[in-house]
Amino acid sequence: MLILVGTRKGLFLLRGGDDRRSFEVDGPFLKGWDVFHAVRDPRDGTIYAATNSWVYGGSVHRSADLGQAWDRAEQLGFLEEGDLKLEKTWHVEPGRADEPGRLWLGAAPGALFRSDDGGVKWEAVTGVLEHPTREQWQPGAGGMCLHSIQLDPTDPSRMLIAISAAGAFRSEDGGTTFAPINKGVAADFAPDPFPEVGQCVHKLLQHPARPERLWQQNHCGVYRSDDYGDSWERLEGNGLPSGFGFPLAVDPNNPDVAYVVPEEGAESRVTSDGRLGVYRTADGGATWMLLEGGLPQEAWLAVMREGMAFDTHDPVGVYLGTQSGSIWVTPDGGEEWLEAARDLPPVLSVEVAEL
Amino acid sequence: MAVVLLPSLLAAEAGGQKRFELDAATVRDALRSLPIANLIFDEAGERRPLVNIFVNGAETRDLDIPLAPDAEVRIVAAIAGGRR
Repeated sequence: MLILVGTRKGLFLLRGGDDRRSFEVDGPFLKGWDVFHAVRDPRDGTIYAATNSWVYGGSVHRSADLGQAWDRAEQLGFLEEGDLKLEKTWHVEPGRADEPGRLWLGAAPGALFRSDDGGVKWEAVTGVLEHPTREQWQPGAGGMCLHSIQLDPTDPSRMLIAISAAGAFRSEDGGTTFAPINKGVAADFAPDPFPEVGQCVHKLLQHPARPERLWQQNHCGVYRSDDYGDSWERLEGNGLPSGFGFPLAVDPNNPDVAYVVPEEGAESRVTSDGRLGVYRTADGGATWMLLEGGLPQEAWLAVMREGMAFDTHDPVGVYLGTQSGSIWVTPDGGEEWLEAARDLPPVLSVEVAEL
Repeated sequence: MAVVLLPSLLAAEAGGQKRFELDAATVRDALRSLPIANLIFDEAGERRPLVNIFVNGAETRDLDIPLAPDAEVRIVAAIAGGRR
């Protein structure tokens, strides 16, 4: 197992066995860069990192040898005449198995980029850049970031994206045009609490085995959809101390299982009730249970939107990284948690790869 | 030939090369010829606001000045700190 940990001060790689009980820390790589997200492309093993520097801007780095040598995107930005400039890169999503060289990149302000040459050149997707609702989008606290990209596992023409605070969108034409899918999702901070767009999605996932089922951790609650996002059910309450939070994980073996890490709220962004509380539902969000085996029970932490990941084992392994520099792993779906690393820089992202 | 000196992060991005010797008509041309030009300039070709350029020890905001053959150009990231 390889855990890719993006931090405020570079990338760390944690190597461990399939038992998921102990890991060796390697790094940092990409010193001087904030690594907002890093992922290993399952098609060829290349690591891609969404990298940002407060001096030198946003970019995407790639390494074909597990971090020893790195190349940087040669062409990335808004090349057409206009006022937009690339602010930050947020999330890299490798394309499908039968699309060699294709990658997607979520960025701010509200931008989706596509590469067809393995991350050397990136082109902004016009259907997002010139979206007819764009005037109604607003930046969230982290900027107007496009942070979630989900490629439908069964239909190559369908993909999902989410932007804070623009909402969730679905493409049915392979990522050329996108339609809002925010029906029933609240924007409690807006004059119209149920607008067409403008919702502050914090993270969106599509279940890999039941693709019509989507999960969304929003600024205003946790939601589930069973129709590719045409409608959403708010799942707040029923055991959750708060609907506010950022990360989200699912269990590939069971579409009714999901994990969230609630925070007190928008104005107090620390884990609820003064503990690191991971909450799991096993019934599609009807009820939620606190998982506390091994997790700090006196803690005021934050887990960022990219800070939780899951593997494909059964029972599922869930991995989360905190702003205080710890990586927590459960090898059994959430009953027992082990601290795989500590005292890293503030963790921005966690991904897992099965080597 | 003129010399361009890179700070460590840019040198790492340039394959470890910290010093470049080159001829160019202007300071801008010299910077644009570097393999890390897109870290100095944004996609519109504008110098990133926190990248400072010193020529022979003096900061210059005008990059279109001629580059003397014996000039030393130093790229310096703005000093800022405290947030993290």
